[in-house]
Amino acid sequence: MANKSESFAVSTTPPTGIISDRQIVILVSLLIGFILFFFMLFPLYSILKMSFLKNGHFSLASYYKYFRTPRIARSLHHSFYVAIISMIVTTILAFFFAYALTRTTIKGKNIFYTIIMMPLISPPIIQALALILLFGRNGLITAHLLKTDWSIYGAWGIIISEIFYCLPHALVILYTTLSAVDTRIDEAAESLGANAFQVFWKVTVPSAKYGLVSAAALVFNLTITDFGNPIVIGGNYNVLATEIYSQVIGLQKFDMGATISVILLIPSVAAFLVNYYISKKSFSLISGQARPFLRPSRMWKKIGFTGYCILISACIILIYVTVVFGSFVKVWPYDWRLSFTHYNFPSIGGYASLWTSFWIAIVVGIIGASLTLVSGYIVEKAKPKGSQLLYLLSVMPAAIPGTVMGLGYILAFNRPYYIFYGTPWIIIINVVICNYTLGMLSSITNLKQIDKSMEEAATSLGASIITTFTRVVFPLSKVAFMQTFIYYFMRSMVTISAVIFLVSATVHLAAIEIIYLDMDGRMGSANAMATVIMVIVLSFLGVVRFIGKKKFSSPQMQQSSV
Amino acid sequence: MSKELVLENLTKKFGELIAVNKVNLEVKEGEFVCFLGPSGCGKTTILRMITGFEIPTDGKIWYDGKVINDLIPQKRNFGIVFQSYALFPNMTVGENIAFGLKMRKFPKNIIESRVEEMLNLVGLTKWKDYYPAQLSGGQQQRVALVRALAPNPNVLLLDEPLSALDAKIRIRLRAEIKRLQNELGKTMIYVTHDQEEALSIADKVVVMEAGVFEQVGTPLEIYQNPKTSFVADFVGTSNFFKGVKEGSMVRVGDLLLKVASANGVNEDRLILAIRPEKIEVGKRGTLKKKYKENIFSGRLDVATFMGVVVRLMIELNGNEVITDVLYTDYEELGIKHGESLDIYLPPNGFMVFPDK
Ligand SMILES: Nc1ncnc2c1ncn2[C@@H]1O[C@H](COP(=O)(O)OP(=O)(O)O)[C@@H](O)[C@H]1O
Ligand SMILES: [Mg+2]
Repeated sequence: MANKSESFAVSTTPPTGIISDRQIVILVSLLIGFILFFFMLFPLYSILKMSFLKNGHFSLASYYKYFRTPRIARSLHHSFYVAIISMIVTTILAFFFAYALTRTTIKGKNIFYTIIMMPLISPPIIQALALILLFGRNGLITAHLLKTDWSIYGAWGIIISEIFYCLPHALVILYTTLSAVDTRIDEAAESLGANAFQVFWKVTVPSAKYGLVSAAALVFNLTITDFGNPIVIGGNYNVLATEIYSQVIGLQKFDMGATISVILLIPSVAAFLVNYYISKKSFSLISGQARPFLRPSRMWKKIGFTGYCILISACIILIYVTVVFGSFVKVWPYDWRLSFTHYNFPSIGGYASLWTSFWIAIVVGIIGASLTLVSGYIVEKAKPKGSQLLYLLSVMPAAIPGTVMGLGYILAFNRPYYIFYGTPWIIIINVVICNYTLGMLSSITNLKQIDKSMEEAATSLGASIITTFTRVVFPLSKVAFMQTFIYYFMRSMVTISAVIFLVSATVHLAAIEIIYLDMDGRMGSANAMATVIMVIVLSFLGVVRFIGKKKFSSPQMQQSSV
Repeated sequence: MSKELVLENLTKKFGELIAVNKVNLEVKEGEFVCFLGPSGCGKTTILRMITGFEIPTDGKIWYDGKVINDLIPQKRNFGIVFQSYALFPNMTVGENIAFGLKMRKFPKNIIESRVEEMLNLVGLTKWKDYYPAQLSGGQQQRVALVRALAPNPNVLLLDEPLSALDAKIRIRLRAEIKRLQNELGKTMIYVTHDQEEALSIADKVVVMEAGVFEQVGTPLEIYQNPKTSFVADFVGTSNFFKGVKEGSMVRVGDLLLKVASANGVNEDRLILAIRPEKIEVGKRGTLKKKYKENIFSGRLDVATFMGVVVRLMIELNGNEVITDVLYTDYEELGIKHGESLDIYLPPNGFMVFPDK
């Protein structure tokens, strides 16, 4: 007892480290700033340099050449054509789907939602693969049933693939928008004598205008930058993203690749900015509104919307069924016997690429989730001078098309002294950077929920910033960390556009092999590879969910009501 | 030697906004000081400057004879209790309390006995291994209190610690904080916007408004001799009249009032304030016999039953006057809504302020 009172007779302060909290924050900010600078801005700069410099002088020769070569110049027109049509159709389809899920009382909403989200976990070329199996030169419907020569390769193939690829992305935005707008406005309008169609056009649609613009911009951005679907189903119909690849990988014309990249950057950045600012605006309108009570919908409305949701869901399921089934069929569409032969992958050395993809995805998940959490902490909590710049750098990657980033990496790092070039590490870095925006934004959202006084309490009790981070902030961010980890894992498993420039003779990735297999005419194997990737992603998700459920249901995670 | 905390011309600006404007204060060791003021007047900002989470724009903070403006929060050894409790949800009650001790690298056995001692202090011994979310709000704030006290801080700062709690628990916990302060003799600085809380708990009350200190004094001084009309209004209840000097009297509309002391106010335009409990009422004509001046005839507007007392709102020549009478007296008075009555405003009951 004497011992005890002696210890607390005088006040003590905790020992402090050699470097202060402020210095640590500055050091970490500089480090992250450097990473983004070196692995994002430097590659972009290399592209600009390549496109504008000829023999050390500023020159527009590449641009002149671009517009004088009809085949290449056409790609700009093609890209816009495909992107605009996909944008309009996808936004409308997604809007009605979101409307059905939020504003009607149809049954099976959860199932519909799950089905429409499925494309998020699959390689972004599965839509094109399915269309080819059904409507291609040897398509089940075209060649086998209708016996016609017509096939889907070209603009319409790309557009339909893009629509199904982009639907979940547009739906998420419109779903959020529509569930936030108060339906009592609709009722008020109805009570004033408006009929159902008037209410829809004069009230519901205008009230969702921010969501509509934001979704349209996102679809435009995704479509114009997409590489996988156009390369598989485009045929001779070239778009900007595929033309970059053909120029660089096919013809070794790096300057033309860089020039096309710059041209692609402009609409893609513009669409990103529209989406970014509008969604910021609409989210500020959304916050804090109560979910309104939904009146039972009329019979005809329920039947109509249920039919619509079934139709869309059926199309999506058809895509998956076709690809999975196609992977087992011996010779599509002639020999319908089932076999596992397509799963042997002899031409690409078996399952090695899958294993590489898997461990790279794990590493990407860990690095990506950690880095975005720390960056989020710097920007949202520590806020040193210049943290706004760090924020700006962090949200930029979403604006940059993958193919552009991939080419940028070649131009910037293909030097003997960058020893990570040609190794898996350049792929890891690339995937982490390319998907930085979403990781960062989700970690900021999470950190916003941690009460500032929690950290101040730790500090006033004597904890250094590192202790506060590891003992308080990180434990409270575990769930968000896991989510970002899963996001990065999935992206890494299925991504194509950027890393197709970075795979090498020694480093193969499964998602890229789908394209090579398809190019080799091994459709069955391409389907098989896509199927295996989806199985891996799905089982990984399942395992993580299972572990997560056990781990995060301990009492400390129970939310108190005070 | 006693350790004093001194604020000297302390100023904080957020861009154009002057949140705290040249305030001065001395806090003696073991003193319980309470900052009282409406929301947004700068209380939290002062507290955050004292703890080191905000850097003063100007002025000095002294502690124990040293300027501590630039000292990092960890080196100040000031404990803080937040309105939101700010307990670490991922740690048990015991781990929460041990946190500050672990940071100071105390040996395990000392930490353990100190945690027990702290839990004992607030009667939460058997909750040691529970998580904060499993406790009630009042219990959580008790834990937050002893978590801050465990490393034996030089000063304990509490920022509206009871605002998130129910009225009943608030009053219980208020008494408990006062008891702890007495037992431990710890210097405490307590922030609140609740005047009743401030008056009941503090040795010294600092009334704040718009970044400046309006008055510093004991609760009794603040209540009985408010220095400004803001203090008279914010602390307790007062009736206000705007008036003009007229000879030795003060004219308020049609009324001519006698005021015992001008309180050193020389201006011609005045604000008079009088507490409800100083005012006397009676049946028509009865008060004339008792007093010579300041008796008027008013009309009862509303009578609100408030337990022991009844609050009367009386219409007096266009002014609304509030007064409290005991329930029994009110019964005896037997006056109903809309009826006239006599009202007496004692000359020595007035507080006088200049009208700006
Ligand atoms: N970090 C800040 N940036 C800008 N203004 C602030 C900041 N913190 C406080 N203020 C402003 O300073 C004033 C005083 O705030 P505060 O000290 O929190 O008041 P109180 O605690 O008395 O309610 C308020 O007008 C508030 O808006
Ligand atoms: Mg405050």
